[in-house]
Amino acid sequence: MTVMAVVMLYPFAVMIVTSFKSQAQYFAGSGTSTQSWRQLASTMPIYQQLLNSTIVCSASIALILVVGVMAGFAFAKLQYRFANLIFLGIVSAMMVPLQSIIMPEFVNVARFGLTSSYLGAVLVYAALGTPFSIFLFTTYFRRVPDELVEAGICDGLGYWGVLWRLALPMALPAIATVTVLQFIQIWDDLLVGLLFLQNPAERPITVGLAALAAGRTTSIPLLMAGSLVSALPAMLVYLGFQRFLVRGLTLGIDR
Amino acid sequence: MLLTVPAFVLVGALIVLPILQAIYYSMTNWDGITTQWVGPSTWWQAFHNPTMWRALENNALLLLAVPFALALPLAVAVMLHQRVAGWKVFRSIYFLPTAISWVVIGLVAEHFFAYSGTLNSLLHDVGVPRAHTDLLGSESTALIALGITFVFSMIGTNTMIFLTGLATLDTSLEEAARIDGAGTWRIFRHITLPHLSRFIQLAFVMTVISAFSALFSLIFVMTGGGPGYATTTMEFLVYQTGFNQSQFGTAALYGLILFVITAVVGVIQLRLIGAND
Repeated sequence: MTVMAVVMLYPFAVMIVTSFKSQAQYFAGSGTSTQSWRQLASTMPIYQQLLNSTIVCSASIALILVVGVMAGFAFAKLQYRFANLIFLGIVSAMMVPLQSIIMPEFVNVARFGLTSSYLGAVLVYAALGTPFSIFLFTTYFRRVPDELVEAGICDGLGYWGVLWRLALPMALPAIATVTVLQFIQIWDDLLVGLLFLQNPAERPITVGLAALAAGRTTSIPLLMAGSLVSALPAMLVYLGFQRFLVRGLTLGIDR
Repeated sequence: MLLTVPAFVLVGALIVLPILQAIYYSMTNWDGITTQWVGPSTWWQAFHNPTMWRALENNALLLLAVPFALALPLAVAVMLHQRVAGWKVFRSIYFLPTAISWVVIGLVAEHFFAYSGTLNSLLHDVGVPRAHTDLLGSESTALIALGITFVFSMIGTNTMIFLTGLATLDTSLEEAARIDGAGTWRIFRHITLPHLSRFIQLAFVMTVISAFSALFSLIFVMTGGGPGYATTTMEFLVYQTGFNQSQFGTAALYGLILFVITAVVGVIQLRLIGAND
């Protein structure tokens, strides 16, 4: 038990200990220094990259939530032709691995000139995250009683009013789950950022880190300091919202 | 109806359309700009390409890591479920790596397995002074290092799934069995394990799909697919073929093969769930 805990904490210990060494001290195996931390900001633009990650994450999640809530409500509460078929189609898009569509996707997005702005990556992340979000919101909205929806419409709220005032408050846990899950996923992702954010000024931190590592000349303590900075936001989100993450991962089997 | 339009457009334009395009482009010579129709013979050629078979073989070998990626978390979850002292702290520790990027895990793993890395000094400390392993540097062992890192990366998620499953277990059943004289192992074998079957299936499918489509970050950081093609899996081959060799058509084809594989796994999963209901 304790042995496993040590193994699980190992990466964090390595990052912390190693980041407080200079390159020479790392190879000598002893001594501490804050040199790597002082050099970090001049080696990789961490503040800009943290900001980029935050922008891309927030915009993608906002899109995923809006699209997911709207479609989820429609699939759960509004009857129309082919609704089930379309729902099934969208949800099965969850199973498509990004690598299977990456070549046409990249060329399409590049053709619209979107690989040199945040928008391309945001749209790709949103498309990848939307199916799960729709699935989750649909299951939540199905629990909203039909009578409540009808009563709301009779009272003159309209569909938008019912969605906004009655259904949405009931779906708050689903909103939290989607947000936490997608935040960690997008923040930690490499492939989309690598390909769809070609402009180094718009690089998210995970991509910045991988690019630095690929250089092979960067000092290891410096890389570890960068790793720690990049890992911290997702870790904090995780520690704060653990239970929503657990719910999201096991959904579909719990009901 | 109007409410589903954004979802329809987003998924249609960015997921469904590219699949259809990939089918077309897989039968062409395509460098991203000009397209030259070849026909279905490209598929025939692909299946005669040793590199693709090497990548598939690597994927198959990585599947050997799946039992470990299930058994370890299962043991951890069962122990956590006993509510040992400090189990909440332990739980947080086991889950924590789930939050960090596989890029970061890959970076740490790379320095763990490196020639002058932690593994060798550990071996040195326990009395193997001549140990100079270089798992990532050798073609025969690099995949092992990748597999170990993959198992590590899956522990948090799978522990989470199993722990959720155990939480739904009726404890009175266990107690009754214990009173009847059943040992810990028998209780696990005959009560806990059958109860967890759905959760084990979920974890199994997620782990297999991850083995096929989530290792890009680890491979990119740890080995770049090498040495040689020792750690090039299908998903990494798509990236290499497309973006390093500019053979967009062939890369699209490899992507479709990956799609078929994961779809088969997904369908099997649906069958299993259906059989249970």
